[in-house]
Amino acid sequence: MTDLTFLALATVTVASAILALEARDLVYGAAALGITFLGMAGLFFFLDASYVATFQIAVYIGAVVVLILFTVMLVGPQMGEPPMELKRLSLLTALLVSLLLGTAGSLTSANAFPGPDSCGTGCDLIGLSKTLITQYGVPLEFLSLVLAAAVIGALTLAKADRKG
Amino acid sequence: MEPLTSFFAVSVILLGIGIYGLTTKRNALRILFSIELIYNAANLNIVAFARLRNPPIVTGQVIVLFTIALAAMEASVGLAIIMLVSRLNVDIDLRKLTRLKG
Amino acid sequence: MPDPVTQIIQLVTSTYFLEIVLFPGLTSIAILGAFFTWFERKLTARVQLRIGPLYSSPVGGILQGFADIIKLLFKELIIPEGADRFFFIMSPVTALIIGAALLGLIPFAPGIQIANVEVGLPAFLAIVTLSPTLVLLAGWSANSKFPFIGGLRALFQQTAYEIPLWLSALGVVMITGTLSLTGIVQYQQNNGWLIIPQALGAVLFIVTSTAEMERLPFDLPEAESEIMMGWQAEYPGPLFMLVQGPAFIKLYAFAALFSTLYLGGYLGPALIPPIVWFFAKTIVIIVAIMLFRSTFPRVRLDQLLRQGWTTLLTLSIVNIVIAYLIVVGVPAI
Repeated sequence: MTDLTFLALATVTVASAILALEARDLVYGAAALGITFLGMAGLFFFLDASYVATFQIAVYIGAVVVLILFTVMLVGPQMGEPPMELKRLSLLTALLVSLLLGTAGSLTSANAFPGPDSCGTGCDLIGLSKTLITQYGVPLEFLSLVLAAAVIGALTLAKADRKG
Repeated sequence: MEPLTSFFAVSVILLGIGIYGLTTKRNALRILFSIELIYNAANLNIVAFARLRNPPIVTGQVIVLFTIALAAMEASVGLAIIMLVSRLNVDIDLRKLTRLKG
Repeated sequence: MPDPVTQIIQLVTSTYFLEIVLFPGLTSIAILGAFFTWFERKLTARVQLRIGPLYSSPVGGILQGFADIIKLLFKELIIPEGADRFFFIMSPVTALIIGAALLGLIPFAPGIQIANVEVGLPAFLAIVTLSPTLVLLAGWSANSKFPFIGGLRALFQQTAYEIPLWLSALGVVMITGTLSLTGIVQYQQNNGWLIIPQALGAVLFIVTSTAEMERLPFDLPEAESEIMMGWQAEYPGPLFMLVQGPAFIKLYAFAALFSTLYLGGYLGPALIPPIVWFFAKTIVIIVAIMLFRSTFPRVRLDQLLRQGWTTLLTLSIVNIVIAYLIVVGVPAI
């Protein structure tokens, strides 16, 4: 019934997300998180968002996972076991939130989101870049400023570490 | 093309896993993993809704480009803070880091 | 919908599958990888007025690569105690997969391309950004100081040179107006090879890709005389082959990308078939990169990182300005 590719990608993504949180060693967790991001990139390719998929691979797996691994290796192993009652409550919370959002989502009208097979101008790469630069030009400039602020912030933190 | 419910279901499941991790785990790095999972769930949602709409629009992909960049930025600053806190020989158990002054 | 068995049978017998497995896919990558090890040793030897590999076959030792593979397969597999077995073995295997994935994106000839994605160039560069992760994991998993330091150095070097790599490719994209590799080759068919307007970009691309591949003169992470092969130090016999393989596959992939972006890929006068043109150009670039090894001294890590973050970044921005002026026309100043 459902497409085999989508089912495989979804299973890989969800399974490695669970593994990322439950693996005992943080390095395995970070690697599982990388597989989750790879599954997400596959889902983006499936949705005809090819540039977003390559961006996801380059930024999330290429940079964020490296940073996480780097931090994990330098911070060292940490222990932590949650008390049992809190775990049950959190599981219940997560289930409740998911159920709520799921119900809200199922109320969306099927006519507004029919899932057309061809994408037309909605996935056009040139259209994407034109929209990004003309309609979203100002947020793009702000994004670069925020990036600069983040880099300066991280460098200041590193410097404070060395002095203190 | 899959119906919207399939993509929405994957997104909601990832969100649930992220919320579970966010509320349960004590290790700051696991909490960062959960935050990244929530970001990814939201991104998948936005792209799916924009693509499966009746004329598909490109705005979903544009928004997701922004959020991916912002999420990466926030993760890097968060990791710098975690590394700094652990250098001060403090356990990175977020239940214990309750005082603002270090 | 046809049942899965019919689908699988259809998949296995299609030309697509043959392309993946035989050429330009996995088998040809493996054979060319072994061939390039011999080629590099012979070339370096002749440049240094030596003879190089001689004894493994009657024709000047050409089977040396395969002899090395057979020798390494018979060595004992010792994994260090306390090493993380999973990442120790999976990192080189994943690096091999990444190398093969890189070669799947490149157009070898007008019909022969495994994955014709419309975002071919960013996909190639995005897969390249996966390699620092693997090197860090490989260096960490050996549970020893030399490999970990080597892994960290390799991580710093490869991350520092990713940005000039993306920016020098950006010059090509600005001129051709397309992100797909077949589109770039078709642009060059109509407008001449891109090495002429993008000479600075081509030089930057070769320099940054040599740094990205960790070849001399940028091979401090695996410096044989300093930190004992760095992150590769603890890899025994058969795994060593798995570690060296991706190095040559990346060389092949980057040389192929360079010839696609700047030298027109498979284009050339129709006397010779396009695939021969493609391989001729790729081998010229590979020879050039191998000659760097014999010619330049090794760059120190802090010099390397400083040059990467300052000089190369500035030059790539200059390259983008040049590309902008070419696209818009010089009177636009």
